[in-house]
Amino acid sequence: MYEDGWIPTVCYQCKAECSILAHVKDGVVCEVKGNPRARGKMCVKGMAGITSLYSKERLTHPMKRVGERGEGKFEKISWDEAMEMMESKLRALHEKGEGHKFTYSMFPHSATDPKWRFMNAYGGFITTGLPHCDSAKIMSHLHAFGCFPNHHIAPIYYSVPKGGLMIMAGRHPFGCMDDASVARDILDAKERGAKLIVIDPIFRTEAAKADWWIPIKPGGDASFFLGVCNYLIENDLYNKDFCEKWVREGDMDNIKSYIADKTPEKMSAICEVPAADIIKLAKMVAEAPSACIDAFKSIMYGNAMDWGHVWSIFLVITGNLDNPGGQPLPELTPMAPVEPIPTGPDLKELGYHRTGPNREKFDNYNFIMQPTWYAPQAIKEGNLKIFFATECNPALSEMGSSVWRDAVTLKDDDGNYMLDFFMVSEILPSETMKWADLVLPDQTNYERWELLYMPWWYNYSHGAAICRPVVKPVGEARHTNNVIIDLGKKMFPEYFAFKDDVEYYDIELAGVGMSIQKLLDNGGMWNTGAAGFYKYKDSGKFGTPSGKIELEFQMYANIGKEWPDPAMPVEFKVDEEKFPFILVNIRSMFMNNTGAWSHNNAQLRDPVSGVDSNPIMINPLDAKKLNINDGDTVSMESSTATASSIVQLTEKIKPGCVGIIHGFGQTVGKVATQSGPWINDNDLIADAGSHLDQQDLCGGEAHVSTRVNIYK
Amino acid sequence: MKQLSIMVDMDRCIGCKTCVVACRNHHGLVDHRNDMPGEIPYYIKVESKSEGTFPDLTEDFWVSPCKHCKTAPCATACESGAIRKDKQTGIVLIDKDLCVGAQKCIEKCPYGVIQFNKAKNYAHKCNMCFDRVIHGQEPVCVEACITDALSFGEKEILKMRAEAKGKEIVKKMSSQSIIYVKSATQ
Repeated sequence: MYEDGWIPTVCYQCKAECSILAHVKDGVVCEVKGNPRARGKMCVKGMAGITSLYSKERLTHPMKRVGERGEGKFEKISWDEAMEMMESKLRALHEKGEGHKFTYSMFPHSATDPKWRFMNAYGGFITTGLPHCDSAKIMSHLHAFGCFPNHHIAPIYYSVPKGGLMIMAGRHPFGCMDDASVARDILDAKERGAKLIVIDPIFRTEAAKADWWIPIKPGGDASFFLGVCNYLIENDLYNKDFCEKWVREGDMDNIKSYIADKTPEKMSAICEVPAADIIKLAKMVAEAPSACIDAFKSIMYGNAMDWGHVWSIFLVITGNLDNPGGQPLPELTPMAPVEPIPTGPDLKELGYHRTGPNREKFDNYNFIMQPTWYAPQAIKEGNLKIFFATECNPALSEMGSSVWRDAVTLKDDDGNYMLDFFMVSEILPSETMKWADLVLPDQTNYERWELLYMPWWYNYSHGAAICRPVVKPVGEARHTNNVIIDLGKKMFPEYFAFKDDVEYYDIELAGVGMSIQKLLDNGGMWNTGAAGFYKYKDSGKFGTPSGKIELEFQMYANIGKEWPDPAMPVEFKVDEEKFPFILVNIRSMFMNNTGAWSHNNAQLRDPVSGVDSNPIMINPLDAKKLNINDGDTVSMESSTATASSIVQLTEKIKPGCVGIIHGFGQTVGKVATQSGPWINDNDLIADAGSHLDQQDLCGGEAHVSTRVNIYK
Repeated sequence: MKQLSIMVDMDRCIGCKTCVVACRNHHGLVDHRNDMPGEIPYYIKVESKSEGTFPDLTEDFWVSPCKHCKTAPCATACESGAIRKDKQTGIVLIDKDLCVGAQKCIEKCPYGVIQFNKAKNYAHKCNMCFDRVIHGQEPVCVEACITDALSFGEKEILKMRAEAKGKEIVKKMSSQSIIYVKSATQ
């Protein structure tokens, strides 16, 4: 099964999952690089994946908790005992008819991930980071032009023509979250005459390479682009031919009425970008052959749905849909179903955020998955009883993460944990593990099979890649997919009649004319790279109910949100005097957010090859007012928590903002705890469930930023 | 003279450090099982410089490996004859079997790029992937660079390529085998 040589497989140091080659010598992975048959690149996180694979801190055997939750005390157990623990707990809850009180937090690698299948068979829900990161973009684009371009469907930079505009709004694609080739593609486009425009309160690497950096007030993107759209419409600079042909009748008249008072001057007062710059960008857009927006962080604020809506409007009125250099519109191509198909539970009826006291408010919310951030609330209300977490770190990644940690230790009057059972499967020790009842050692991407396929796109077009075991697994590590398949065979044999994960993938792949063997024969992947353009012309319609582009969101008429609000996010409008700074939590290309692997990877926490600390970035103008010097230790206080770290004075941040890297906070593992100092940003952010007044109840977005005060 | 070189396009380097890790992996510099941050040897490092005040800022990134000096101070300093500049390639090489661990090369290197293996008592550094280039391959940092900011070849040819792309050589940074270039318009 194992062989030496350069073996095609897939990286999994982050969710981009780039196709790679692993150099195996004498049964050991010694080098890795991008697969030249794919997009040919692999980033620093990926290169450091070998260190995760061979770290002496790898989890190598199942363990069960012996102390209280949070103490992190475990003893080694057998796989048989681990399987029995899970099965007995799951059966007991299921027999009570409360399958919906089981949630699995994970990242499905394909829409038909076997773990997701198990959850559907059981009647539980999965949660992912998707609602944090994507929901507003996904929902607004779905409402407007009926497609599903999540944040991994960024503009195709290799398609941007000379003169095209690449606009990054709070997006840092050089961090390789889409594909390791993206930075190259952006710089190639720039070399052929495309323009890079970066809108960001922090001057980061993308801004350093940009033709134009526009520092903006965090959360000001909706107002900024409304100003741009106002100028385009008021001055007849929008794409009239496109709008006349494709926009629903009446919507253009309505948007003209709505947008008439969203002038660059008025919008400038909100976003703190000069009106002249808003007009300058509008004129550039009008003259450019294409324009695209790539946004990520900016779509995570409390006005995310408004910003997503404006983003959609901008793309439509400039005709930048499914064109070279614009927003790609992937079509859906599902794989073959593995019969019989288990039907999942009704999210709207049984999802735990729907079952609490705020149920009616959440009926405005319209998303396809259970959001993660109401888990503490659900535990308190008795709506979450069993929780599984695989390759995720909710003890750090939940907003108000201290509330999450408290919730999982809550006990009822009889002294039993309110959350009855908690399983974590991981590769390296994670913060979340400390609260687990059962810890299972997972396999890295170098030890396991995994099918990478999404019914929309995988890395720029339809395609699939196969992650395959290239070396023997470390210790007793088992891939969690196989653990869950085994549980499925015991509990729901009718849905798990296939032999193993490989056969399961083969059945699915047959639906698109592929198989595991064909993928292997083809160098580990299948992807023509053909994204296709103007596909809506072929079908003569968009995927909306009317078949036309729908600019007015009539589905939100009941809450008065037919059109976007240019106002700042709600969380920035409270306690401005007490907490004068806006916290900007940025992504680092060396970290996979809160992922335990990067925080316990010696190369990624090494000062020469990674990032070894997480100082608080402050502009010298603000520091002077506070009498703070570079290197001082200061406290950062939000409405819900206080943390301290050292200050880094930098001209690279907009005055009025403070910046830290998102994802720090790991207190488990030698590597993570040796480096420092750091702050866990999510501890400072209000917990969603207990701060509903600050939560967006119409767009399905969470607030991942907050106001803070800084003092010595 | 013959001189193989690496050209660093500062318009494209984003300081991502991919080359640092690729280099370590290729040369076996990491003990993946045991190494802790801050103690892992390296043959190439990333540097940067930002200038200006908010909001008028610039920032450059570049990589800095061994410069394979024309007259290498490390070779001159070495009394055991372990360091030589290869005539065919211009690459400065340390023969670890001849190295006696005197570390004089480390004292004399103006760029601070020579590493020392205490356990095995020898000095080591970037050899421009001699094992690869003599087989017609690029150094691993050049192959791994995610933005194609690095290119490899004979120095005179790299300079011609830079000129054809409208790039100027940043003379104050460039040295015998590492050439730094930027767009002439920037």
